Amino acid sequence: MIITKKAIPRRMVLRGLGASVALPLLDGMVPALTALGRTAAAAKPRWGVVYVPHGAVMNHWTPQQQGSGFEFSRILQPLAAFRDRLTVLSGLDHAPAAQLPGDPAGGHGRITGAFLTGVHAKPTEGADFEAGQSVDQIAARQLGQETELASLEIGIGLPDFGGACDAGFSCAYISTLCWSTPTTPLPMESRPRAVFERLFGDGGSTDPAARRERMERDRSILDAVTEKVARLKTDLGARDVSKLDDYLSAVRDVERRIRRAEADVDRELPLVERPQGGIPASFEEHVKLMFDLQVVAYQADLTRVISFMMTPELTAQTYPELGVPDPHHALSHHENNPESLEKLTKIQTFHAGLFSYYLDRLRATPDGEGSLLDQVMILYGSGMSNSNLHNIQKLPIVLAGGGAGQLRGNQHIQYPDETPLTNLYLTLLSKMGVPTERVGDSTGELAHLTDL
Amino acid sequence: MRDAPTRGMVGLLAVAVFPALVVAAHGSSERGQAPSDRDASAYQAVVEQYCVTCHNERLRTGNLALDGARLSRVADDADVWEKVLRKLETQTMPPPRRPRPDATTYTEFASWLEMKLDAAAAVDPNPGRPTLHRLNRFEYANAIRDLLALEIDSEALLPGDDMAYGFDNNADILTVAPGQLERYISAARKVSRLAIGDPSIEADVARYPLSSLLVQNERMSEELPFGSRGGTAISHHFPLDGEYVIRIQLQQNSGRRESQEIDVRIDGARVALLPVGRWPEGHENAERAETAGSSLTVRVPARAGTRMVSVSFAEHTMVTEGVGPRHLPVWTFATGRGFVERMALESVEIEGPYNPDSLGPGPDGESEKASRRRIFVCSPSRQPDQRLGRTEEACATEILTTLARRAFRRPVASGDIDIEVLLDFFRAGRAEGGFDRGIQRALENILVDPEFLFRLERDPPDVPPTTAYALSDIELASRLSFFLWSSGPDDELLEVAAEGRLSDPLVWEQQVRRLLADTRASSLVTSFAAQWLHLRRMRSVTPDVNAFPAFDDNLRDALVRETELFVESQIQGDRSVVDLLTADYTFVNERLARHYRIPRVYGSRFRRVTLDDPRRRGLLGHGSILTVTSLATRTSPVVRGKWVLENIFGTPPPPPPPDVPALPESNRDTTPQSLRERLELHRASPVCASCHVRMDPLGFGLQNFDAVGQWRERGDAGTVIDSSGVLPDGTAFDGPVELRQVLLTRRSEFVRTVTEKLLTYALGRGIEYYDRPAIRAIVRDAERDDYRWSSLILAVTRSMPFQMRRSEP
Repeated sequence: MIITKKAIPRRMVLRGLGASVALPLLDGMVPALTALGRTAAAAKPRWGVVYVPHGAVMNHWTPQQQGSGFEFSRILQPLAAFRDRLTVLSGLDHAPAAQLPGDPAGGHGRITGAFLTGVHAKPTEGADFEAGQSVDQIAARQLGQETELASLEIGIGLPDFGGACDAGFSCAYISTLCWSTPTTPLPMESRPRAVFERLFGDGGSTDPAARRERMERDRSILDAVTEKVARLKTDLGARDVSKLDDYLSAVRDVERRIRRAEADVDRELPLVERPQGGIPASFEEHVKLMFDLQVVAYQADLTRVISFMMTPELTAQTYPELGVPDPHHALSHHENNPESLEKLTKIQTFHAGLFSYYLDRLRATPDGEGSLLDQVMILYGSGMSNSNLHNIQKLPIVLAGGGAGQLRGNQHIQYPDETPLTNLYLTLLSKMGVPTERVGDSTGELAHLTDL
Repeated sequence: MRDAPTRGMVGLLAVAVFPALVVAAHGSSERGQAPSDRDASAYQAVVEQYCVTCHNERLRTGNLALDGARLSRVADDADVWEKVLRKLETQTMPPPRRPRPDATTYTEFASWLEMKLDAAAAVDPNPGRPTLHRLNRFEYANAIRDLLALEIDSEALLPGDDMAYGFDNNADILTVAPGQLERYISAARKVSRLAIGDPSIEADVARYPLSSLLVQNERMSEELPFGSRGGTAISHHFPLDGEYVIRIQLQQNSGRRESQEIDVRIDGARVALLPVGRWPEGHENAERAETAGSSLTVRVPARAGTRMVSVSFAEHTMVTEGVGPRHLPVWTFATGRGFVERMALESVEIEGPYNPDSLGPGPDGESEKASRRRIFVCSPSRQPDQRLGRTEEACATEILTTLARRAFRRPVASGDIDIEVLLDFFRAGRAEGGFDRGIQRALENILVDPEFLFRLERDPPDVPPTTAYALSDIELASRLSFFLWSSGPDDELLEVAAEGRLSDPLVWEQQVRRLLADTRASSLVTSFAAQWLHLRRMRSVTPDVNAFPAFDDNLRDALVRETELFVESQIQGDRSVVDLLTADYTFVNERLARHYRIPRVYGSRFRRVTLDDPRRRGLLGHGSILTVTSLATRTSPVVRGKWVLENIFGTPPPPPPPDVPALPESNRDTTPQSLRERLELHRASPVCASCHVRMDPLGFGLQNFDAVGQWRERGDAGTVIDSSGVLPDGTAFDGPVELRQVLLTRRSEFVRTVTEKLLTYALGRGIEYYDRPAIRAIVRDAERDDYRWSSLILAVTRSMPFQMRRSEP
């Protein structure tokens, strides 16, 4: 299929493609390229995380019944349409986020720092922040070998506290879930256009020759940078050198990407529109746009590992459109006040509704023999349960997607007390063909996900 | 030029050169000999008697053990003793109801301990070692502005930066992640093409949305035409001479039925007047006016460069701005989208360029781009006479050497290997697309060079490990310019540094004063003060629309602008930093004056007004600060008290334990409870009380200011506001005026706090115990000049941690 760059009316192009690459919220007709042509029939599992902060009102989250006949709870109701591709996992614990003796009080930094790493975040506000390699990055080491981007980290509303992020904990812990090494947090991008350009490049052209030429030039710049770093390193101290080494490893990352892209430079491309500069004014629009971009990234197989923080811990986001003018974090210390609990429930139901938008888009996007929803394994949830107490037991966790035939769906599973959340990660890694011995405090794989 | 071998160990060099260090070191050593071991053991006994019961190796209360620390050797445990000193100065330990020493012992012990600690630091200075510093997004944009005379939208180009220790220029947290390099490469390509005015730049769209909370019923800005209403003024960069499409989107509101004309201007010159809405039958506009679609499009020619695009509604009624009051709009919030009922803009988009070069040559015979003039210091095709005969290569070398010197912030010789590399890029680009393309390629490479993106400081080869040494003049030039300008040094500063003259105290002072007087020093307001005072949070606060229906984005912007203008006037006027708390003037426009109920201020222009009402004076009367320290629905004396402790006294309270809930909203079914009564409840718990007894009274002093900073006599529940408070030491006050008097009695704590914040920002690292002696020296130094801004800033730049660095262990 060939797409010219002539001004074809947008809808026509999209219909002509027969594939759902329409991005309802993307504007500005600038074409960019992606890889759609080689949709091999082989199933490709994709990993995803969608994080929501400040726990959940658990009696409105947890379904009453277990097994496949469960009734959707109030908060999860918006997801009811995806029952077949959904598992509610109750009873999982997040012990590494516990406050240890001598730890500063701030629980949110600890909770985000531990969520995907299963490691107790080192309490510090300085340069010596340290958590663990996060599960998405473990997955990306292998799943990322076949794609241009090993992984994608995105998030919305990164904190603006006008000071420290969480008492005694570096902002690094709050502003990302992803760590490529225990000391390298991966920042999460919040600007849709930047996410788009990370996926598709910043050139306006779909012409393979232009793309190839740009890569050539990038490569010569990278070579020059590499040589320069080598010259500079000779008389710098160890810590400074390690920072420059981060810069170099970024260089190698881009080089790897160029090699991959060069191999596929002649792939056929759907027309995708580039979002414009700014961040959408409404939170809902912003979230949906970020979900659209995730769908496109999976669809074009640019990456198979995506982590998305819908909003961060400690966020002061308000939801006046839901009748909730209170900042989310302040509200989350609800003190069992019925009015506050009701407001929180509204927010959490709204978040689940946004997630259902994502699942809907995934289901509408063909991939392999079925839809993208059949391929993905997406974890949706929060690092605490009762936000009033920063409880880290019995977390609100949902698993969506068919996992390329690996996940059963349509279940509510109650796990025994003190089952580590990381056991779920271990299980998912193994299902994605990335067998791993341990993730943080994991003790073994979870039962029931496939074989109830 | 001072070269590496002579930089050596300091103690010696810097002390010889900088008066502040001389005073500190000399004074200390002189006093250092006086106290005898007798004093040490007497004070050790005080510690044993009052402190060790809790603070010992077994209990480690507050993670502090004093039983092993010896006052006879304070240097061994300087970190511990600095903590003790702070508690002695503020007399906050032992806790209430525990036996404590008498007042004389407190003060004498404190001054003895301070002297010992300062003396120990003078003998073995520790300037710390900031990590390799990546430019943050703000610094990157400023560096581009100064390097290329190009204003860029850095928020669209680069990811944001985290904060640590209150500031986003903290070197520790400015890490490099894989995705970031791609952004830098991409930014380098875009910026370099914009800078040279690359004729092959593709058309792109920039969208400028207007907040739905912006009420467009008055003249919105000084950049808009007189007598206009609503709309926006945008500083937009036009990459090339060419045609641009300006697309205007109207809000979907009832005002769409008005008959209006939209006035579009570039740099003040009208380029279009578009009739919109419903015009009366027979009117000449009735046919032309756009009524159906919500999007209006106009295609206009524009010259390259950053230009002011204004889009507003032309009012037909006579308006004499600044003469009489405008009557207030009737606000509704039927649409839930704000208080709009007149026709209003939703967004403006600017798309282009199309048909570059269609305009023909400009007045100068070529494009007027400032960035081209900045870059092309010579021209191979049109050489001035004296340069005739120079080859393209020689001209390129001159251009690239100039660029590299400014970008790398150090002298660059033409034979430098960096220049050779850049020339390779130039040649490749030259072969492909001509001279300009060659320069663009080399520039693109400069912008991802680690020497541009990072600030490098190197240990001299002859310095032993873990030793304080003086930074080179070149390194100091960057420290200074990034402190005062958030950008690299200019040509003059770099030249003075290259000549090795910065170590002359007179030259140093002259340069500091020159940088401070420059407009670029406004970054001290927009970056330093905005972060210190939490002003940046104004962008994200969302006061509850039901509780504060009058809070719109006009007010939000005005509140921020007030504080910025105020702090700027303080710094530029070189007032004492203490005046921040007391000044009897501020800056308001009509919107803000209405909010503060200051009469006779009309129009959108900000002007200085004298505050006859003493309650509003100083920073604590600023609506911005009162708003960022409030919750969406109500004031929080706790948050305000915490803000004062943190930013005025420099003693932030520890965070609450995790299981402590926030205050419940007052329950409307029962007897109205004042906030004070509710707060008293949780102060009844001893755990809570230990901190709240310090925080809450300070916050209560400001209770007459509501959650958006408006004065009120009665609270939410109708109760009369009680703004009295009693501090732990028994000091009582009532209302903001008396609270300010109390703060003034503790002005030294305020000055120390400002100093700490300035030093944190200047060094790009957190303050450590070993910085305390330097902070005390800075404060002493500035005291002689009544803590004027220039004296404080000068003292910071002369301080040991600013001038020196510790070599690698």
